[in-house]
Amino acid sequence: MTVEVSSKSEATTIPEELQRNVLITGVDSVYNWGRMYSIWPMVFGLACCAIEFIVAGTARYDMARFGAELARASPRQADLMVVSGTVTKKMVPQIVRLHNQMAEPKYVFAMGACATGGGPFKEGYNVVSGIDKYLPVDVYIPGCPPTPQAFLQGLIKLQEKIKGQSVTQVPWYRKDQLNEAIPIPVLGPDIFDPRQVETIKEELVKQRAQETQAETAVEEAKEAKATEAKPKKKGIAKALKVPQWDITPTEEAQTLADRIHQALGEGAVTLEKDTLVVDPARLIQVGEYLRDAEDLAYDLLSNVTGVDYLGRDPRFEVVYHLYSTSRGGGPLVLKARAPVGDPQVPSLTSVWPSADLQEREVWDLYGIRFPGHPNLKRILLWEGFHGHPMRKDYQEAYYEEPVKPFNSRWPGGHHELAESKNPYFKNVVYPTEWDLDAWTPVEEILAVVDAKDLPRTGMRTEKIVVNMGPQHPSTHGVFRMVVTLDGETVVDLEPVVGYLHRNHEKIGERNGWLMNMPYTDRLDYLNSMGNLGYALAVEKLLDVEIPERAEYLRVIMAEFNRVLSHMMMVGFLLNELGAAFTPLFYAVKERELILDLFEEASGSRMMCNYMRFGGVAHDVSQDWLDRARYLARERLPRKLDELEQLLSDNEILIARTKGVGVVPPDVAVAYGITGPLLRAVGVPYDIRRVEPYGIYDRFDFQVPLLYNGDLYDRYLIRILEAREALKILDQALDQIPEGPIFGGKRAWQLRVPAGDVYGRIEHPKGELGYYLVSNGAGNPWRYRVRSPSFINLTALAEMCKGHKVADIITILGAIDIVLGEVDR
Amino acid sequence: MLGFGVLKGLAVTIKHFVETYIDDLKYFPHRYSEEAMESRQSVNGRGIFTVQYPEQELTHPETFRYIPFLVFDEDEDSVYEGIRCTSCGICAKVCPPQCIWIVRTKDADGRPIPQPAEFYIDIDVCMNCGYCAEFCPFDAIIMDHDWKLVDYDRFDGHIHDMERLLKPASYYQQIRPIQYAENNLDEDEDKDGH
Repeated sequence: MTVEVSSKSEATTIPEELQRNVLITGVDSVYNWGRMYSIWPMVFGLACCAIEFIVAGTARYDMARFGAELARASPRQADLMVVSGTVTKKMVPQIVRLHNQMAEPKYVFAMGACATGGGPFKEGYNVVSGIDKYLPVDVYIPGCPPTPQAFLQGLIKLQEKIKGQSVTQVPWYRKDQLNEAIPIPVLGPDIFDPRQVETIKEELVKQRAQETQAETAVEEAKEAKATEAKPKKKGIAKALKVPQWDITPTEEAQTLADRIHQALGEGAVTLEKDTLVVDPARLIQVGEYLRDAEDLAYDLLSNVTGVDYLGRDPRFEVVYHLYSTSRGGGPLVLKARAPVGDPQVPSLTSVWPSADLQEREVWDLYGIRFPGHPNLKRILLWEGFHGHPMRKDYQEAYYEEPVKPFNSRWPGGHHELAESKNPYFKNVVYPTEWDLDAWTPVEEILAVVDAKDLPRTGMRTEKIVVNMGPQHPSTHGVFRMVVTLDGETVVDLEPVVGYLHRNHEKIGERNGWLMNMPYTDRLDYLNSMGNLGYALAVEKLLDVEIPERAEYLRVIMAEFNRVLSHMMMVGFLLNELGAAFTPLFYAVKERELILDLFEEASGSRMMCNYMRFGGVAHDVSQDWLDRARYLARERLPRKLDELEQLLSDNEILIARTKGVGVVPPDVAVAYGITGPLLRAVGVPYDIRRVEPYGIYDRFDFQVPLLYNGDLYDRYLIRILEAREALKILDQALDQIPEGPIFGGKRAWQLRVPAGDVYGRIEHPKGELGYYLVSNGAGNPWRYRVRSPSFINLTALAEMCKGHKVADIITILGAIDIVLGEVDR
Repeated sequence: MLGFGVLKGLAVTIKHFVETYIDDLKYFPHRYSEEAMESRQSVNGRGIFTVQYPEQELTHPETFRYIPFLVFDEDEDSVYEGIRCTSCGICAKVCPPQCIWIVRTKDADGRPIPQPAEFYIDIDVCMNCGYCAEFCPFDAIIMDHDWKLVDYDRFDGHIHDMERLLKPASYYQQIRPIQYAENNLDEDEDKDGH
């Protein structure tokens, strides 16, 4: 392929007298040749695109051929910053700081649609419309995500640019052109760029004037009750229909309710269908009863979420999904309601610690307080953020309409950039009453534990608080841990998330039902075939028949995904142990072959968008099946053996992992841990078994169990599970029948009957659940993702306490998180 | 024995090292021939499987999707008449991030004509999901294979307008032969039938 040298390159601007200077051109060609083939990228990734960036460094694409394989963890040693993925407001200050720390010459790539111009998450309240709003960008790589080859094309393009530079012209040798550091954006009520202070002040004055005008108009209109009704800038265009559905109690629920009434007295719960609506004042009592009664034993609080029923009283609802790990079966749903004003529901952290992070999320997004919560502060956004964005009446800067499709797109769809309509040309909105002069940013309070918790070591050391992340080579993305250390021993740890909070759920409520499918791909971007859970949840409400072939294809894809995910997890874990890249490269090679199958079946390597309500998107060919059989029966078992031979007996691995990060089974369940982690402590809880979905009941497979619960078991259980997945694949590929792949009519517009539903699957990382509320319209009223990565983090502190700082990274690696899913 | 586990692991890496050169020897001296390339990339491939981009390129399957384009039939008098799109707006409505903008053509009386007057796709918002192509009733919008879109500036080229979006049906046939045959042969039969 040919790449044209940009006409804007600096070579053309060499002054007359120098143009014939052979010496300079000679020096230039050597100077540029050296720089072109030694572009060192920074180890820095934000989201999905970062995976493709990493993969560009592995065997198939081999960035080393361009001399760019030397990825540096420190910005001070790096030449190239690849902004790969969605840039969130919470992350921007960090990115700008890193950029400022890079020495000249430095280059910036905007990789992927999000980094280039906002991407599919552009409308979100925490998303920046392109990194070029904050940093100068050299090369843009469009695509969602760009393929690794596209990344290499970007690299070549950068080389072309470097080739066009001259040592006499480049700014970094000229005193008069020295680059000033870029002012670091500050997190206020919304993110603000210090360069825009004057504009913001002016705009706020205008905004205030408009509002007073409007207010006086309202006051004049109705004199009596003035203060409450503040006129909104943009009203909600289409009236939203509050969801309502048949709530006749089921018999089973009635029996349970009667029992609770007997034990705790009348009025503790009321019934709606199979749901217990609990009196908030007695929530903890009811929780304790459900957990402790022997034949109920609801020990796993799986999902906690809020719902805003705007237009109903009481307006807010907190929904809890309970399971029993000993009995299996479906969920018990509890609901607690709170009115508008100062909504409060008592915290359940004392009954089930797994409520910890989730209640904080509900507080953050809905503004429902949980009295009794030990650490109730914002989690996905930052302290000081204005408003609670998941509330139905919250409108972000790029708000257009409550639901898609937007009317502005058709039939009169003159293209207009969202930022051009915003007074700040950015995705920001500031509260009118904000006084910029009197305001100081909220300091993040670091949790420092009391000295009495310290185990006595004999040596007197001082406690220090260390921030790991959000930019750290081993945190699997933009994840931060505030670690309190006593010497090298971890005393306390607090996970700080939200650096990739892409407002998935808010956008999901605006999207049509089908539109959410490709968005779910971007949750756990390593496992986009595993997002079957969403399809299953919607199908529960829709009641469609899924053809046999489609059922088999779903299982095949999901299990291939499990193998892929577990192999990648092992690769990354070994990276974190310091066995840099060999196991990862072996894993990525197999991943590439599986992705080839995915790409052929679905059209995309990573963002498969393969599941549909009622089937799958595309059929596969006979040749595809043959290759899949070869992979599942011959190649992958061999490769798993190889991986085991490489690692399982390795003394260093054993020394680093045995006995590290152990949590007892009961604690693991209490913290809501699911998936391989839970099975590594000996709790036989696999959703494919305890509440089978799809056609999993037809296959002969085992649920591997290990009992030590340390890192070594967490490593080994992945290998064992991958083997079981291959067993399922073997059977599925054998039994797959011919036939249609889609039940019913393929409709782009879908109305889903009113109701609420929770669908879950055994995702490679744990229980992936979708809690959906429908009001019978074309888009979900509530779209909640119960992500295993996020909830498994609840126990991170428990796992790390008492271990050395070097173990934190491996413990985190063994949990196997994907930040897209943690932060959503 | 202490250290045996490490040695066992090293044996695996040595095996990989040796395997790296098997294909090279097998296809010597045409290490990078098409045949060699195909064998390396297949599920049976054992040796080094690096694609020597940009000299070589990894080919994508027919279903591969990147940014969408609009199809026009070349047998019509002008490109404009050959446009298959009727501006029905389904693609714009089904688009999850709403990155498609369409202006419908109107006649002198203001009645809509089934032709797009303007058509934009913002590739900085597009998520390559393929819904527009999947639900287009006229086979008029197709997911492209062209991923070579890297550039230095995003403001003059990332909003694809009609001019940029229109590609001939022959190109469509070239990148997606099976899909083309399935969707277009049926249509021809229909035409014959009428």
